[in-house]
This record gives sequence, structure tokens and C-alpha cells, in this order.
Amino acid sequence: MKNPDSNCHGLSRRSFLADTGMGFTGLALGAMFFKEGSAKAGPAESKSPDGKIHLPPRAKSVIWIFLCGGVSHLESFDVKPALNQYAGQSIGETPFKKVLETEGKQIIGGNPKHGNRKVIMPLQTGYKTYGESGLVVGDWFENVGQCADELAVVRSLWTIHNDHGAQLTWQTGRHPRELNHPTLGSWVSYGLGSLNQNLPEYVVLGVPTGDCCGGAFTHAAAYLGPQHAGVRLNVDPKNPMPFIAPADGGITREEQMANLSLLGKLNHLAGIDYPDDKDLLARIKSYELAFEMQSSIPETLQLDRETEATRQLYGMDRKETRSFGEQCLVARRLVERGVRFVQLFHGGGGGGDWDAHSEIKSNHTKLAMQVDKPISGLLKDLKQRGMLDETLVVFGTEFGRSPGAEGSGRDHHPQAFSSWLAGGGIKRGIVHGATDELGFAAVENRHYVTDIHATVLHQLGLDSRKLEVPGRKRLDMDHGEVIEQLLA
Amino acid sequence: MRAVPNNRLSFYQTVFLSFSLVFSVQATPANKSSLEKHYEQFLPGSLNRCNTCHQPSAVKAPESLEEFPHNPFGEHLRQLGAKLREEGKPRNLETRLKLLAGEDSDGDKVPNETEILLGHNPGEASDFPSVTELNGFANLQNRFQEFLTSYRWRPFDRLTEVPLPKVNGSGWSRNPIDVLVMAEREKRKLSHQKEAKKTVLLRRVYLDLIGLVPTPEELAAFDADEVPDAFDKVVDRLLEDQRYGERWGRHFMDIWRYSDWGGWGEQVRDSQPHIWKWRDWIIESLNNDKGYDSMIAEMLAADELPATVKPDIRAVGFLARNYKLLSREQWLEDSVKHTAQAFMGITVGCAKCHDHMTDPVSQSDYYRFRAIFEPHQVRIDQVPGELDRKKDGLVRVYDAETNHLTYFFVRGDERKADTNRVMKPGVPAALGGNLGGELEVQPVEIATEAAFPEKRDFVIEGILRDSSKLMSEAREKLKETNSAQTRELKLELNAAMARHQSLEAVLAAEKLEDQWQKGSASWTEKAREARLAQKSLVVSEAELKMHKAGISAGAAAEKCNEARLKLEENELSQKSGGADSSTNSSKAVEALAKLEKEFNSATNKLSEAQVALVRAEIDFLSGSGTDYKGREIVNYPARSTGRRLALARWLTHPDHPLTARVAVNHLWLRHFGRGIITTPENFGRSGNPPSHPALLDWMAKELVSNQWSLKKMHRLILTSSTYRMASNTDAASSTIDPDNIYLWRMPQRRMEAEIVRDNILHVAGSLDTQIGGPEIDHNQGLTSLRRSIYLRVAPEKEVEFLKVFDGPGVTECYQRHSTVMPQQSLALINSPITLAESRRLASRLTRECGEDSKLVVDRAFRKMLGRFPTEEEREICLKFLSEPRSASAQIASTESKFPVPAVGSEPGLLLEKRARSLEHLILVLFNHNEFVTIR
Repeated sequence: MKNPDSNCHGLSRRSFLADTGMGFTGLALGAMFFKEGSAKAGPAESKSPDGKIHLPPRAKSVIWIFLCGGVSHLESFDVKPALNQYAGQSIGETPFKKVLETEGKQIIGGNPKHGNRKVIMPLQTGYKTYGESGLVVGDWFENVGQCADELAVVRSLWTIHNDHGAQLTWQTGRHPRELNHPTLGSWVSYGLGSLNQNLPEYVVLGVPTGDCCGGAFTHAAAYLGPQHAGVRLNVDPKNPMPFIAPADGGITREEQMANLSLLGKLNHLAGIDYPDDKDLLARIKSYELAFEMQSSIPETLQLDRETEATRQLYGMDRKETRSFGEQCLVARRLVERGVRFVQLFHGGGGGGDWDAHSEIKSNHTKLAMQVDKPISGLLKDLKQRGMLDETLVVFGTEFGRSPGAEGSGRDHHPQAFSSWLAGGGIKRGIVHGATDELGFAAVENRHYVTDIHATVLHQLGLDSRKLEVPGRKRLDMDHGEVIEQLLA
Repeated sequence: MRAVPNNRLSFYQTVFLSFSLVFSVQATPANKSSLEKHYEQFLPGSLNRCNTCHQPSAVKAPESLEEFPHNPFGEHLRQLGAKLREEGKPRNLETRLKLLAGEDSDGDKVPNETEILLGHNPGEASDFPSVTELNGFANLQNRFQEFLTSYRWRPFDRLTEVPLPKVNGSGWSRNPIDVLVMAEREKRKLSHQKEAKKTVLLRRVYLDLIGLVPTPEELAAFDADEVPDAFDKVVDRLLEDQRYGERWGRHFMDIWRYSDWGGWGEQVRDSQPHIWKWRDWIIESLNNDKGYDSMIAEMLAADELPATVKPDIRAVGFLARNYKLLSREQWLEDSVKHTAQAFMGITVGCAKCHDHMTDPVSQSDYYRFRAIFEPHQVRIDQVPGELDRKKDGLVRVYDAETNHLTYFFVRGDERKADTNRVMKPGVPAALGGNLGGELEVQPVEIATEAAFPEKRDFVIEGILRDSSKLMSEAREKLKETNSAQTRELKLELNAAMARHQSLEAVLAAEKLEDQWQKGSASWTEKAREARLAQKSLVVSEAELKMHKAGISAGAAAEKCNEARLKLEENELSQKSGGADSSTNSSKAVEALAKLEKEFNSATNKLSEAQVALVRAEIDFLSGSGTDYKGREIVNYPARSTGRRLALARWLTHPDHPLTARVAVNHLWLRHFGRGIITTPENFGRSGNPPSHPALLDWMAKELVSNQWSLKKMHRLILTSSTYRMASNTDAASSTIDPDNIYLWRMPQRRMEAEIVRDNILHVAGSLDTQIGGPEIDHNQGLTSLRRSIYLRVAPEKEVEFLKVFDGPGVTECYQRHSTVMPQQSLALINSPITLAESRRLASRLTRECGEDSKLVVDRAFRKMLGRFPTEEEREICLKFLSEPRSASAQIASTESKFPVPAVGSEPGLLLEKRARSLEHLILVLFNHNEFVTIR
């Protein structure tokens, strides 16, 4: 019987129900499917400007690994034997004293406590050459070194902040005193946006940057809207995210289905009076998705489904590498299931674990041990499954560390640091850009952090300039430039 | 190169702009803007260029007229401008364009305006329209003339009387708002929806004004009230409800960017602690219908306003919240940017690095505006009852003596301050209409209480009271002790007494000094007393220290003796052949050495303490001068610059073009879900134009005429016919105006985050209606029963549930954009708050309705969705209630963490069976689309 309050003209009940489908009674539970890489115009509230890819995409997903605190480039991917040669000398005494002129030049609101480290500290670990490409990698990352032929290493990055707010800068391109700007992950979600999957578009694993240094802004979406923010997942099938399961566990799955079925019926009936209510349609869909997520998310985290060989590949059989190994494995599983952007933090909280102002040898040795095998495992696993071609893996940190000693450690060093990319249509086995002999400043093919962002977006088929939101002008520096030499 | 709007440009970005081709900061895109503004959609794209008035330039980025000379048309305009300036007549570009419309500047025999409208350059003789084009010109010319006579949106011009248009369906209109809305509809041949059903209307206005749905009783009362002004009465009643202040308080907190303090650990880096008092001021001011102009004045300059208007200093939280520990530069930048956007809706902040690209704000204007804020700083004053500023305090601003020099930053780079250009405080002239850009800045005398906050009576009394308390506590301890502690406690008491004595004397001396009696006899007496008391305190403290040192030394000595004994024992047992004694003995030797070291250190400390005591006693006996040590307090300048007060007066002048327009647009936005200008924080050219410019101007003038009373404006809007329309769709209208821009029906909206949470609590009867008070920890978002406005919102500290429903951003939130996300669904079906309140409401309904399931369903719908269920809905729900639940489900229910109020002493079997189903039905209704939708 028609609702006596109904003001609708000419729209029949049957047609309305036909449009919206029958909700839960027709839902195939537990079906996982991988979405193709073409963008979709989402429901009305998705603000993707044209819903179209701008360029032919090479990659479908991104795994964005971020080590918090500042990894020493000098002993990882930009090894500097000169530091051993001139160890103990003041930089001013070496033939390279000109490098000091670059200090403090491009920093905004710098912390005077950082920098000005003059006495050269020798390398705190050894190094080897790997692969056909002959890439030199510090021993701390020997496992990643084995994957040298997959990597495109960028050695000439620089950033604008010499404090750990630079963690936020790595994610957004902007100085931390401006608080929130959309992160790269949110741009990806916005540009390729769709609510049609049963998993979020953009997922965050690990412990993100601490509150002091950007906190939740390092995985948020700012003015793009919360639907494009990263969704944090705990790698624990019992407690992966807020509200994923009924609060006191007292509602059974059958009861929930019954509830949601009732909800679907009532919403359909009430919606007859308001057939134009786009929110209603979106909400019905959103409940279906939410219900799905309650099982799909825990399922993604059920790692016991993987073979023993896989688990060992990621180092999950050993204490030091288990935690990060799990996260890398979950990252692969998320990407398999259609998640676009997985942001994987290591060492988050406070200033970042890698922030070795003292005891850099023991610090980086310990921490590298936690991540080296898992990251190499991830690369190998992606490759053997044929996923590496379409998955872009990026290894980043907020800045490098000083060639000059700070006691037994190294100081923050924004003038030069390294990153590498692999997969997703990136050239294999190359090195791009260079620093001076001491690793003090980027000198050849210098790149600000947003050049990495532009490159990632390019591989996904997006042009950030076409994604600009009206009223939110972005500058050249926000967009960055695609690093053409990295593209295969 | 296109001129583009630029909201987010920061100074340091321009450093790098110089590496790419750059737009000369000397160019005047504002002139091009004016050309566009005059012709609007009638200006062909090909003429929307500099070349309409200038000859093509050989120089790549011309910086002067020499490098970029005018063509004949531009030259003609310039000459006219000079002539008008001489005659003292208005010479803005639009006026000049009108005057030259009929002239033929380039001599090609076609008038300038004709050429422009037809897309030909009026300054280039070889470019002229063809005969065909001229033949078809009449139609275009008519349309253009019509456009010129239509109501023009001039946001930078003073508000004038808005002539009310004639409309056909005048029987529908209740007030001029309706007439003006109707006029726009009629232009587009749109009809309109009839009035909404009473229950729909009531729920809508309740949610709009107090943010809480009407109870079934309130619904029934309104339904039954047949008088013609029944709705008006409801509006009046709700405007007097205290909950109005809470509902609209949160809206204004959005606009004014309320934020609790954020930082790292205990360190305050953003905003300030205790700033909830500003929020309470907002609520109270709204409930008292304080004029919007007074609110602005207090927020910008409560510290400078004369005492006669009784300014409430809590209001300056508006400025204090911009505090940034790590960057004074960012702090000032935010102050400029957001003050301009909140009150004027103009992105003045964009002009930090260059002249504004689209609005008449120059880079110099930016720094003059900044100069207004340059002197101000933030502090926390003590409040009666709690002197510890960590626990309570009053946040306020003041002008500091130093740092009131504002320099022009070249290219906006804070490292390149041009110290030859000191900027005097001022405002952008073009934004002030006839008020211009000069500020009348008069320094302001600061009341003693404000300049010397630590000398206030209650502070002095409080200090003495606290000190007395410490004395009594010391006395009590001494009374209750056993003999072992007596000496120490006696010494503690002595110290407390000496402290109190010196405090009394210091305060007395200080008071005399404040009364200009330094050097007088009574002062000398007090000063000497103070000095002596301080010396006495030193003695007491030294005695105490020595006593404690003695005890430590004694304890250390004992330990040594014990260790020595042990060692001797060891040696003895070794001699008699004990096997393990060698290791024990070396350990014991080590231990003894350590203890001996500690003993030495303790005896050293003791001798030091003895020496200190002797010195203190000698000092004490040597009598005293008047050089006592004064209190370490902070005093503040006795004068304030008066800059912020001048700004406030300029902004709230009845002739200010923007302030009232921006305000009424914000009100309209929150009643209709869509502003007349959909970019409420940007009324400039890069924002969106108004859908109803005449309506906006009329309301703005009305606001000013009614002493800026917000409640009166609410009343006008809410009692209009426009507001009362139903929100259902209509196929015909929806074809003409699918986005309902011209309001042929009432728009539908989703509740904001706070209202979702509030109503979950409200319908279940759990809402704690206490008003005001300190912010509530954000981790209690799901357990607190207070209204959401009181939950903390700060950087990194937000309530997850509210965030999920598009809660307020901490950096800016001029309007909310609601989304639909699965996290919202998850929150509503799974969160502790919905589960707990479902239980509570279910049990309450059972109490009220017993076994009558039909009644229960009806009441549930009525309470939660504001209406009765249809037959079909009732059937479905009854079926749901009666469906059997598994036995295991029953058990789970009783194990629940959430306490369930007792159903009754002897619940029948039916009730027991139904209890869980009813909880779930309520849960489903919380998730119902209607629950969160405002129809």
C-alpha cells in the first residue's frame, strides 16, 4: 500500500525497486574479485573530476613503503666510500669542502639544532655490488640488494624541512606547519575513485608517523574528503579496524544478516516517496559494502592461508622479521584484491625509529634486519606471481643522514637522500641522479619529493594537474615533474 | 599565461616559482578582471585578454606600460581615467567602459561596445565586424541591455535598498524572502512544491534550530494545533530554547575554526588550553541574541573594547586558536587569512606573495592587514578558585610592546623582509565600499586588572590561602606523627611558616609600591620585614636540608658498617675453608667500596649543608635592608595599539559591504543545505556567483537594520513559505532545474556528525543536557552522554565516530560536505553507542508498552523517524519481532558488557523472547536512511 504521505508523481513502486536491486537477498557473500584498472565514475558524492584516466596506465596499484626517522642514504642505496677514506677529517679539510655551501639553503623554518656536522664519520657497515646492473648496496640491505636488477634507485632527492615534519612533507609535498594537505594516496583514491569494491581504495599498515610530526595527516585526504583518506588496518584478523565487528560481540552473523535484510526492506519502502534521493541509493550500497568488509577485511588478514614457503620468503618464521613480514604479505594480498594504494609505515611514532642521532650502527643494524628480508620477499613474491609489472613499489624515508658525525650517530640531512622504485612500468636495474662524493648534497638531476609523486601518478595514468579541485590551486612544486628517465 | 585563483600559495613556494616562467607581479590582471566583470558572459573569450587594451608585447613578461603600451582603446580608457580623476568623479574601469561604449577608439567606424560584444578588438582598426554580423546584432544588443538593467551583484559596493520585484503568485509569499525567491523561479518558469506535512516540517525545524528531533508528544501537540500561526509559535519557542545556542554554536565554531589545544605530549603547539570558554561564550552569546557585530568586535578586540560595553574576554579565543608554537610566521599568516575569510569571505591570504589574481587586494594590502595582528600575543590568566594555570585559566590576547613592525616580504618570502618598507596597519580599500581602506587607529589604555593580572585581589588572596593551607597541613602532620619524624616535620612546619610570613610581607610591600609609596615609612617597614622573612626562610630551609642530609649520612654509615661486618664474616668463613667464599668476597668488596663512596658523598653533602646553614644564620643575624626579592610575575603593557579595535569597527560598520552578506549566506547555507553563494568563504571572483543576488543583499540589509540580530534573521527565514515547502521531487521541475538551485522544493540534507550522535542519545532518553564546561576527552566519544559539541576536537585528537560522519576539520571547515561511506554504516551497526542505546530504548519501550508489539513499533517509528509506520512497514517489523531467535543468541545477550535496565520483575515469556528482537529493531531504525536525513 502506498504511503499516504507520498508526494511522488508517476514513479511506480516496482520500477524503484528494480532500480535498486534487492539488497542483501541477492548478495553473493565472500566473493572476492579483482577490479580492472580503468577508473569508474563513482556515485554522486565521488568527486573524481572526469572519472577518466588521463594517460595509458602502466600500474594498477602502489605499495608505498615509508621508513620513519630518516634512513642513512650513505650506507644503504648511495654508498660513499669516500667517507671511509676521509674518516675523522673535517669536511673543510677534504677536497670537497665546497659541499658545505649547500647547507641550510633550501630549508624552511629550519631547526638550528640540526646540521653543521663537520667531522666525517666512516661507513658503519660494509657494501657489495649486486646483479647485472652492478648496484652498490650497503650490507644493511643485502636482501634488497639481491633484487637490484628490479630497482630504479633515485639518489638525488632533497626536501624542505630539516625536522621530522619532513615525514608529512614526503606524503604531501608541503611543509608541516601547514598541517593537512591531501596525501599521495588520497590523490590516487580521488583520481581513480570508486566505492564499488568490498575493500577500501587506500589502506594504511603499520604504525604511522607520530603526532609530533604529522600524525594522522600523513594518511589523510584534507580537502578531498574523508572518503579518500587512508583506512588504517591492524594486521590482526580479530581487530583490524574500528567498528568492523559489533562492539560487544553479542550479535551473531545470522542476526546481523537478518537486521540488514530488514534495513534493506525498510529503506526501499521509505525510499518510494523520495525516488530522487541519491544518498539513499548510495547508503544502501554502502551497507552492502560494509557488510562485505566485515568478512573481507579479516579474510585478507588471515595469513595462515599462505604456504610455508611464502611465509619464509617474507621472514615470518623469524622473530625479528615476523611483524614487518606480515605487513608486507598483507600488502601483497590487499593489492591482489584490488586495493589501489597501500601505505606501509615502519618505525612510526615519536620522531621515527630510524632517527639515529646516536649509535647509528646498532640502530640501523637492528632496524634494517626487521625490514630487509620482508621487503625483498615482497619484491620476489610479486615477481613470481606476475604482479610486479602492474604493482609499483616505492621505498622512501623523510631525509638522509649527515656524512658528518653527531657523536656516534648521524644528524638529519635534507639536502640529499635516496629512494627506489620497482615494478609498475619502471625501468629495471638503473640508478638515477647523483650526490657529491660525500653524499652531502644532490648535485645531478636534483628532485624534490613531489617528483616521485608525479612519477607514481603518471604510472597509474593520472595527471595531477587535471585533478585539481576548484578553489584549491596547486603550485608547480606541489605537482612535481615526472622523472622520465625512470620510465620503461 | 592564465590568471588562476590561488588559495594555497605559501611564501616559500614562490622561491621556486622563479625557476619557471613567472607571471610578473607588476601586471594588473585586476583590470582584465574588471573587463570580465562588466561584460560577464557577454565578453567573448577571444577578448578576455590583455590585448584588448594593450598592443602585443615584444617583452616576454612586461613590467611597465613602456614595455606593454596601450592600443587606442586602452589609451582612450587611460586618458578618460586621468580626466575623471581631475574632476574628482568615480573612475573605476566599469564606469569608463560605459562612458566609452559608444565611442570608436580605433577608427574602424564601429563603436567599441558593438565590437566587443561581437568579438572584435576595439583597439585594432583592422579588426572589425562584418556586415552579416552587424545585421544580426540587434538581438544581442537587447539581451545585453537587459543584462545591464538586471540586478547586478556588486559585493564590494555598499548595500542599498533592494527593490522587490513584482511576482505573479503573490498569494504564496509570506515575506520578501519569498517574493525574491519566487521571482527567480518565475524567470525560469518553475512552479514549486506545496507546503510540507506538519510532522515533516516540525522535525525539520527542530533539527535546524536545536539539533534534536521532536518527541512524540511535541509532534502530537503541533499536529493538533490548528491556529494559523502554530508554526511561527514553534519557531519562537525554539529560538528561546537554550539548545539553540548549542546547535548554532557548533555551526559558528565551524566558521571560526574552533580547535582545542593540540601538541606533542604536554607541550602546547596549536591553539590553547581552556579555550572551551570561547565555545561557552559562543553558546551564551547566541542564546542571548548578542548582535553579530558585537560578537565580531569581541572576538577581535575584547581586550581593547571600553569597559562600558562589558566586553567578554573569552571571545578572543577566535584569535588565540591560531597560536602556533613552532611558527609565529604561520600563526600570523593564519590570522590574516582566516579573519578575512570568516568575516569578509575574501581570500586576502592569497596576496602574501603577489597581488591577488582576481580580487582587488594588492600585496601591500596584505601586509597592511597583517600589521593589524603583528603586535598581538596570547597568554593565560588565572581565574578565581584555581590558580594553577594547567588546571584552569582564561585564554586571552594582548598587544605586546615589541614586534609591531611589519615589513613587506619580497615575493612573500619571510627571509626577504624589505626593512625599508614598514607597513602601517590598514585594510584593502576596495573591499570597504565607501569606507575606504584607512583605519582610525587609536591606542587604548589597558585597565590595571588586565595589565597586572597577577596583582588582582583574588590572586593575592588565593596565594595567601594556598600558603596558609600548606602551613595547616604541615601542622596537622606534626600533630599526628610518631616521634621518629617529629624533628623533620617540625622543621618543615618552620619552613612553611617562614614561607608564609615572607609571602605576606612581600605582598604587602608590593601593594605599597603599587600605590606609589615606595620609600615611605610604612613601605620601608614592610620591605625590611620581607627581606628578613626571606632570610629566615633561607635559614629554615637550610636547617631542613641539613637535617635530611644528616639522616642520609647516618643511613649510609649504617649500610657501610653492615657491609664491613659482612666482609669480615666472609673472610672468617674463607679462613675456615668455605668453598664459594672467594666470589662472594670479591662481590662484597665491590659492594663495600660502592657504599663507602656513597657514604663519602653523603658526608660531603652534610658538611655542605652545615656550611650553608651557618651562612644563612649569619646572613640573618646581619639584619636586613629593604632589598627583598620581589615576586616573579609578569606584567603586561598598559597600552594596546588599538589596531584590532579599528579593524572591528571597520568590519562592523553598517556600510561595510561584505560582513552582513557573508553572515546571512552562512545562515542560509545551514537552513537550506546550500548557500546562495556556494563558496561561503570566497565571495571573490574565483568563488561562485550568487544564485539569488537580490535576495542575499536584501537579507544582508535587513540584518544590519535589525541591529545585526541573528535570531530575527532566523525567524524571517524559517517563517517564510520557501522554508516550509515539501522536499519531494517533481519530474517537470527537476528537468528544468535538477539541482534545485532556484528552490522549487526544500532541499534534503543529511544530519551533521554531531547531530547523528546527539539524536542517538536523545531518542533513547540518555542525553545529558548540561550546557557548557571543559571539553570532554575524545576517547570518551562513545561513552559520554553529553552533546557532541562538548567533545574535544583538536589536531590528532578527534572522536572517530564524528570523523566518520564528516566531522569538523581542524584547519578549516567553512562548510560541511557530507559523504556516504561504508565506515558510517559500520559505525552505526557496530559501535558501542548504537548498541547500548538500542538496548536502552528497547527496554524503555517495553516498559511503556508492555506486550503490545504494535504499539511498540508505532512508538519506535514515531520517536526515531518522526512519523507512524505504514501498514506495510508495521507488518514487516512485527514479523521481525516475532521471529524466533536461537538459544545461543539469548545467552550472548545476558553476557553483554552494557548494563541493561531491568525490564520488569516478572517479564512474560513473550517479552523475553521479544527483548532481543526489539533491540535489533531499534538498531535497524538507527541505521534507517530516514534517521540521518533531514527532509
